[in-house]
Amino acid sequence: MKKIILCVAILYSGLSFSQDGGYFFGGFESNSQWLLNDEGLNFIAPEDQFRANNYFRLDYNLGEFTAGVQYETYLPAALLGYAPIYDNNNGIGTYYLNFKHKALDITAGYFYEQFGNGLILRSWEDRQLGINNAIKGIRVICSPLDYLNLTGVYGKTRNGFNVSEGVTQGIDANLYISEALKMEKVELSIGASYVGRYQSSGTNDSIPSTVNAYGGRFNFVAGDFYGGIEAIIKDPDVIANEGQISSNKLYDGTAMQVDLGYARKGLGVNATFRRLENFAFYADRLAEGNIYNQELISYTPALTKQQDYMLTNIYVYNAQPRLIIESYDQRAGEVGAQIDLYYKIKKGTALGGKYGTKIAANFSYWAGLDAEYNIENRWYEAKFIGKGPKLFRDFSLELKKKLSKKWSAIATFQNVIVDKGIVYGGPLEEEGDIEASIAVLEGTYKFEGSKSVRFVLQHLWAEKDRKNWAAAVLEYNFNSRFALYVADNWNYGDTDIHYYSLGGSYSKGRTRLGVNYGRQRGGLICIGGVCRFVPENTGVTANLTVSF
Amino acid sequence: MKKVILLFSILLVFNANAQDNIPSIDLKTLDGKTYNIQAVTDKDNVVIVSLWATWCVPCIKELDAISDVYDEWQEETGVELIAISVDDSRTVNRVKALINGKGWDYQVLLDTNNDLKRALGASTVPLTIVIKDNKIVSRHSGYSPGSEDELYEKIKELSL
Repeated sequence: MKKIILCVAILYSGLSFSQDGGYFFGGFESNSQWLLNDEGLNFIAPEDQFRANNYFRLDYNLGEFTAGVQYETYLPAALLGYAPIYDNNNGIGTYYLNFKHKALDITAGYFYEQFGNGLILRSWEDRQLGINNAIKGIRVICSPLDYLNLTGVYGKTRNGFNVSEGVTQGIDANLYISEALKMEKVELSIGASYVGRYQSSGTNDSIPSTVNAYGGRFNFVAGDFYGGIEAIIKDPDVIANEGQISSNKLYDGTAMQVDLGYARKGLGVNATFRRLENFAFYADRLAEGNIYNQELISYTPALTKQQDYMLTNIYVYNAQPRLIIESYDQRAGEVGAQIDLYYKIKKGTALGGKYGTKIAANFSYWAGLDAEYNIENRWYEAKFIGKGPKLFRDFSLELKKKLSKKWSAIATFQNVIVDKGIVYGGPLEEEGDIEASIAVLEGTYKFEGSKSVRFVLQHLWAEKDRKNWAAAVLEYNFNSRFALYVADNWNYGDTDIHYYSLGGSYSKGRTRLGVNYGRQRGGLICIGGVCRFVPENTGVTANLTVSF
Repeated sequence: MKKVILLFSILLVFNANAQDNIPSIDLKTLDGKTYNIQAVTDKDNVVIVSLWATWCVPCIKELDAISDVYDEWQEETGVELIAISVDDSRTVNRVKALINGKGWDYQVLLDTNNDLKRALGASTVPLTIVIKDNKIVSRHSGYSPGSEDELYEKIKELSL
């Protein structure tokens, strides 16, 4: 209790000093659930029925200095499906002190950083996914010239309330050529990155203690066209599976990403190609492929469209960067591409109508690498593109139209093919593909004031897996602050289970509260192309966020 | 229980002392130039900062809805909207295609490392902030159809 009084006293005194020019900022987020037995779902609530993840973040800025701390609790247990390393834990998760003066920016403590596309290094936080791989150490960013910036990092990666065994160091340089040469018509930049991980290999001489990765990239903007290319090579390293080193053999890894786009008013096209071969880089060699995405160094998200509706999120893709050579499963990486198109049909035309029509389309295709394996000798050889097994193919089209001052509507169609091993885990190409077509119709009606009602009707057609689904959502907004909804996903093709839910949210200024009751469909929850598996469950959830 | 009481007392203290400063964070333009947010929002007229992402449906609904009436808003109040994308490297390449495909006229900046999102304590997007004389006057998270009208009332009030 004394400690608490002391803490509050310090905070109060800090606040009174804050009048002299410094200021506090930060936020509080609480996500909790109360799990309930549900016979209809065959779900038995675990012993810790109540679970909560709380994050309290406080930062203070005074002139060129900023300092911050994040306190986290996962009491009595973390939300269902989170890394068990957090269960029943609480403490200071991250802290930092930053100094920024003109071209110099120094951070000591935990920091978030990204080099290029993040393929070679990215540390970030996603509370919905339970990822926080902030690096604890030192980061220095400096810009000795207007058109040159350099970043150096050194530290260990956060792992729960501890840090990784391995130490990561890295340097990133960006040179803005067009600024240096005062070119006006085009924007050109190049970048280079180095990231190394040191981890003791103990008595095993055949395992390298240091594994380095090197990358380069080039980006351009020329008129309406833009694009870039990034390529990374990673030194030979052992591969590990489920916390065990597979063999003493070493394999190098590569990653390559190419982006091309065209954009002018009313039309935008963006295409991305990416190839990953044995490209899983973790702050601990034994953490490779852990299902909770802990201790990641490289960032290799699924490059597909992030779908927005309940039924379009059943069959999703999860990137496959790893090399596995086992008798029951062989894979070497992935290769594929996606293309996005955005187009606006002008107002006043036959198809555009009074308000115009907005079109968004996406196509993506991802395959495993076309490779030959010699399982006995743990050897493999992969082609650059080849004809590898299809893992995922997705096409979607969305039409968005404001019909009148009161009415607006969105129609979406999606056709997806996915390997069953992607959806449920386990070996690929063993259990065949699932093909599904999904149609969604969404309508919104605006009343006077800011009252509105929104409905969504969805249907999924599939011949395999759990077959057909139907779903509906009804939402009523009383004003811009208060909304209630009721929803149901009904798997009528196979299990006859209704995944119903209802809830509401209240949001005012710096505070937002959401409360839901219902059934959660199990499966992959993907945010930003990174997925976490959530088991089916029933319960009440509450989410509170306050920022200040 | 003690912890809960502690947390809530701290929350109350900070809510009462909530900051209205704009944090000093560097953001990138679509062609890679770096600007500090404080320099961008330093204008005589009212400035709206909207944190959004290409994958965020309510964000796009809000920016689409404002886009339909943005000409009028600008004519009458001189308000400026700065759309700051919190897209990470997975989706950031879509930003340029999307804003053009949608025909938006906003100034667009990128917060790819989410530094501004963290500094504003925004756990979700959209987050809409109204700025006058380079101080935060109000903020609202989430979007429901019609809330752009309430936002405009606020802008008109501040522009008088």
